[in-house]
Amino acid sequence: MALRLATRRFAAPLVLRRGMATTIEHTKGEPLSTVSEMTSGTSTPEPASKSTPIKDPSPSQQAKMKTFQIYRWNPDEPTAKPKMQKYSLDLNKTGPMMLDALIRIKNEVDPTLTFRRSCREGICGSCAMNIDGVNTLACLCRIPTEPGKESRIYPLPHTYVVKDLVPDLTQFYKQYKSIKPYLQRDTPPPDGRENRQTKTDRAKLDGLYECILCACCSTSCPSYWWNSEEYLGPAVLLQSYRWIADSRDEKTAQRKDALNNSMSLYRCHTILNCSRTCPKGLNPALAIAEIKKGLAFSG
Amino acid sequence: MLAQRAMQQSLRRLAVQHPALRLSTPAAIATGIYHQKRFAAATTISEATEHDKILARQRLNRPVAPHLAIYNAQITWYLSGLNRITGCTLSGAFYIFGSLYLIAPYIGLHMESAAIAASFGAWPLILKIATKAFFAFPFTFHCLNGLRHLSWDTTHLISNQKVIQTGWTVVALSVFSAIGLTLLV
Amino acid sequence: MASALRSPLLRQSLPTFRPQQLPRIQRAVLSTTQARRILPPLPQKIEGNVNDPARVPDPEPGHGSYHWTAERVGSVALIPMTIAPFAAGSLNPMLDGALIGLVLIHSHLGFDSVITDYAPKWRVPKSRRFLNIARNLALVVVGWGWYEFETNDVGLTEGIKRVWTA
Repeated sequence: MALRLATRRFAAPLVLRRGMATTIEHTKGEPLSTVSEMTSGTSTPEPASKSTPIKDPSPSQQAKMKTFQIYRWNPDEPTAKPKMQKYSLDLNKTGPMMLDALIRIKNEVDPTLTFRRSCREGICGSCAMNIDGVNTLACLCRIPTEPGKESRIYPLPHTYVVKDLVPDLTQFYKQYKSIKPYLQRDTPPPDGRENRQTKTDRAKLDGLYECILCACCSTSCPSYWWNSEEYLGPAVLLQSYRWIADSRDEKTAQRKDALNNSMSLYRCHTILNCSRTCPKGLNPALAIAEIKKGLAFSG
Repeated sequence: MLAQRAMQQSLRRLAVQHPALRLSTPAAIATGIYHQKRFAAATTISEATEHDKILARQRLNRPVAPHLAIYNAQITWYLSGLNRITGCTLSGAFYIFGSLYLIAPYIGLHMESAAIAASFGAWPLILKIATKAFFAFPFTFHCLNGLRHLSWDTTHLISNQKVIQTGWTVVALSVFSAIGLTLLV
Repeated sequence: MASALRSPLLRQSLPTFRPQQLPRIQRAVLSTTQARRILPPLPQKIEGNVNDPARVPDPEPGHGSYHWTAERVGSVALIPMTIAPFAAGSLNPMLDGALIGLVLIHSHLGFDSVITDYAPKWRVPKSRRFLNIARNLALVVVGWGWYEFETNDVGLTEGIKRVWTA
């Protein structure tokens, strides 16, 4: 904190300070949309065959090579299309998990590779990405060791890409905020100290409170791909149910009302990709089904 | 103890902040400027809106990560998609026939069941089978998969294992019953 | 449905429409690669500040829970109506009419889902309105057509049976 304040105090004026990504300067006559049409909305990256593979700098004697194809896009070259970059690593020198491979690439092969990571043990949800077609946490995903099989790593599907494997989850967090993810209660607790729960009431929250909001499920949901502006998506709905199911919360009716429209909840068509992909083994689809059932019988 | 640690911490911070002041720390302590200052708002409003503008412009350039083309072929979303396609096929046929029957007399079409049956009966066998299969599979699949969806709406059978099991069961049953409807009936 | 919209008949009736559209479409093809070009995602825009919650819509049970319940009730009612003709060989006109009604409602709500999914109101308001009008119109036309079929012909189950065994 102090450090950040310090840098801010002595920092250069705003114009010089901006170390963030480049933006395209728009000319007057040209509408914004035509400029950004070049990359935005592009969902197919250039195939890996078009880029030169990058090899492990120091493979061991009996190297066990494995090729990774990683999605790359650099905001400093906003007009360049996203591409797939090949990296080959010696698995003997790499840890067992996908995140180990990514970290090794960043440390030893290509420092420009960008991804989020923090806890490396599946509790922070930072390293959520699409690995071999399935959304998961890179730190919980073992590197498949079958010889000759290439692994493909993409950012979370149908998210706007900030850089390489880093998706912009602003909308996701805004939606999370919109469901008021905190205890809402007007009456003070009976004993004046804590809001007590029976064991069965507490058990209702199992399988809900463990969610780490990694956004794997939401970005695996085709409904969320097409309608993320209005549909809340599995993760946020699971969180919403976590508070609807909470016996201590007193705003259950309002919470249900907030979902009772055509978009927020009912774009779920029980596709069930969410439960299939959850790296924490939770069941968002079940939570959503419970909400729908609850709404059907309470009006 | 706590006070001591707080002191240590602020000293350390001070060292980081002002290297020049490091030597004159006692003086700094004496004058009280070692206290950590908390500013109510670290950035001014105009600065924040300027940041927002840059961010908003950067956002416009961002590509969308690949989705449909790269997501693993899992039975969950494949069957869900198939459910919609088969439903639209059947409903489409139902709608087309209904509206055609209404306007048939005005455009000189014969949509009476007897006329259709007669012309359909005259088709070559392979074409007949193909047409029947084209409608039989969507029908059997949509009906059986519909049961699956209804059970999920009652929060039953909604675990990964059950979803996969019932999914393949429905695929097998609907294929067999469609073959049966096509060839045997 | 889609092929009906694309029919040459329809195109001929709109002769001035195509030449104007052509250059724009071509540019779109050049500037993008392939795949889902129908409604490509727009450049990212975030409404409000990053710390603002997303907008919560007003409750509309008619498009929410009531709609959902109606859909399920219709689907459940279709189960015995689908089994009955296989079990009994055919249906009496009343039940046959009821089956047609249920299929019609089921299709109507099904198309509603499709339209709501793929034609978002904020994105393509005009197409959305057009599709919904077309959907309601189709309900009337198709319902009337099947009514005619039901009263003048042999009915749905018997008709299918006749063609199937032809």
